[in-house]
Amino acid sequence: MTTLPLPRLQVRLHKRLPKFELDVEWHAGDGVAVLFGPSGAGKTVTLQCLAGLMLPDAGRVVVDGRVLFDAEASVSVPPQQRRVGYVFQGYALFPHLTVARNVGFGLRDRPRAERQRRTEEVLSRLGIEDLADRYPGGLSGGQRQRVALGRALAPDPALLLLDEPLSALDLPLRRALRDELRAILAAWGTAAVVVTHDFTEAYRLGDRIVVYEDGRVIQEAPRAELLWQPASRAVARVMGLTNVLQGTVLKASPDRIQFRWRGQTLEAVNSPSRSYLPAPDSSLGFFVRPEYVRLIRKDRGADDPTHHMNVMTGRVVREIDFGTTWTLQIRLDEPGEPAQGDFDLEVEVPRLVYEILEIERDRHWRFSIHRGSIHVLPSS
Amino acid sequence: MAAMSPELVSALSLSVQVALAATILNALFGIPIAYVLARRRFWGHGLLDLLVTLPLVLPPTVTGYYLIVLLGRRGLLGKPIYEATGWSIVFTWYAAVVAATVMALPLLVRTARAAIESVDRDLERAAWTLGHSEWRTALEVTLPLARNGLVAGLVLAFARALGEFGATLMLAGNIPGKTTTAPLAIYTAVQTGERGEALLLVGLLTALSCVVLVAAGRLGPRAV
Repeated sequence: MTTLPLPRLQVRLHKRLPKFELDVEWHAGDGVAVLFGPSGAGKTVTLQCLAGLMLPDAGRVVVDGRVLFDAEASVSVPPQQRRVGYVFQGYALFPHLTVARNVGFGLRDRPRAERQRRTEEVLSRLGIEDLADRYPGGLSGGQRQRVALGRALAPDPALLLLDEPLSALDLPLRRALRDELRAILAAWGTAAVVVTHDFTEAYRLGDRIVVYEDGRVIQEAPRAELLWQPASRAVARVMGLTNVLQGTVLKASPDRIQFRWRGQTLEAVNSPSRSYLPAPDSSLGFFVRPEYVRLIRKDRGADDPTHHMNVMTGRVVREIDFGTTWTLQIRLDEPGEPAQGDFDLEVEVPRLVYEILEIERDRHWRFSIHRGSIHVLPSS
Repeated sequence: MAAMSPELVSALSLSVQVALAATILNALFGIPIAYVLARRRFWGHGLLDLLVTLPLVLPPTVTGYYLIVLLGRRGLLGKPIYEATGWSIVFTWYAAVVAATVMALPLLVRTARAAIESVDRDLERAAWTLGHSEWRTALEVTLPLARNGLVAGLVLAFARALGEFGATLMLAGNIPGKTTTAPLAIYTAVQTGERGEALLLVGLLTALSCVVLVAAGRLGPRAV
């Protein structure tokens, strides 16, 4: 964030609704910002405030230096003049108008010839010129998405808002259209804000991810940083991470943290961007990605200390077949209450590994977790 | 049709003219009222809703009485008009139109309001973000999409106006050739023992109402 002189989008909103309060502040630069979080966290309310469809009680919204809303200065640009495009959940295409007239709907103020030229340009850029005279009722999900994008992009908005753009589609199509949407957003280069409750979608679409929970922002980060360094247990939970665990600190330095968990002494790399130095004996949140736990083969020689650290032993109590991968739920050979119900760790192995190691037959394993794969969750 | 006397023909044509005029007035006033009731929240929302719906439940003579209080020669609005122009609406063709309009209004407003409320609000919001004012959005998105309900409401309003009796009698009287609409003519015919004329008009009005109801049923899913 050092190269950006000024964020393109600055958002500060406070809105009190019956049974819900939104209080958020975040900013975004070029590219796609994703508002990610569970349903009811306030993501759609935020979009509506950005578009001027809902009035916040307090706050300020600035797009490319243009103030769209400022409660203190009593500025509130009406939605018609915001130059903010909105792709609604379910697309909200006008069913009584053709595709061409849907796309040209926001061009009413332009001369007729210009309107027609721009409509044709948008249709052809999105590869839907064949659909120009069709009505939305007869279109597939993917075609509707493109028409909705075209309609929002045609007036050349300063900011594009997309509310759960893929939720109206069934699963196989979702994945294909997610990548198509990403390509379209990248090609048009319009600053965009996408709302989603699906982390994979958030990660695939967003350059920057703002995590919402219960009307508040709980983390705001470039997507890679979010994936590897969720700021708190709350973020990890919202991201749907498994193996979010709790240990007790032994010793913390800016590089490493040593802690006890389920009778083991484990070592983790300290969070590099915000060095976290909890006091000994304080509790420590951390998570382990299930695909980063290594089973140690029994037919190999002695352990290699550079590869095998944080070694534990346990028994597979449950296994779940996900087709290309297997998820194993492992209970440590330790007395006491397991950390996650009747097991301690979830481990994901590729199908091939599952078959080679004959895990179906052999249930007792040693395994290790590299210290870089234990992610500390600073409590805040 | 040899049995159609001039009075009968005049009553029927008067009824149709009054009903058409009332339907046009319903479209002009009723649709905007239905729109604001469906889409706006404002002070007096409940009062407007009540006022427009009241003629549906009040005895028509009571509605007619209120219209006299409002528009009569000594009425709240009627008096200044009479004093300024020497003209009063009471016992004129216009009075029959006003009475029919007021009596038909609740049917149109309720049907149209339901149709407008069923239009997805996101479509309107989309139009706003695309630069269309609320006014233009209503004309180009909301009302076209509510069209079936609006037409069904107008058809019902026409039918109701065609059959209006009580309020018309109160405000417009029963002046042959001037304010005697078909329902009033039926009443008069029965009173004076002209069974044949009464039967003919009853038959014609029944047939017309059936046509109208079938038309309304085709246009809107559950119009009322």
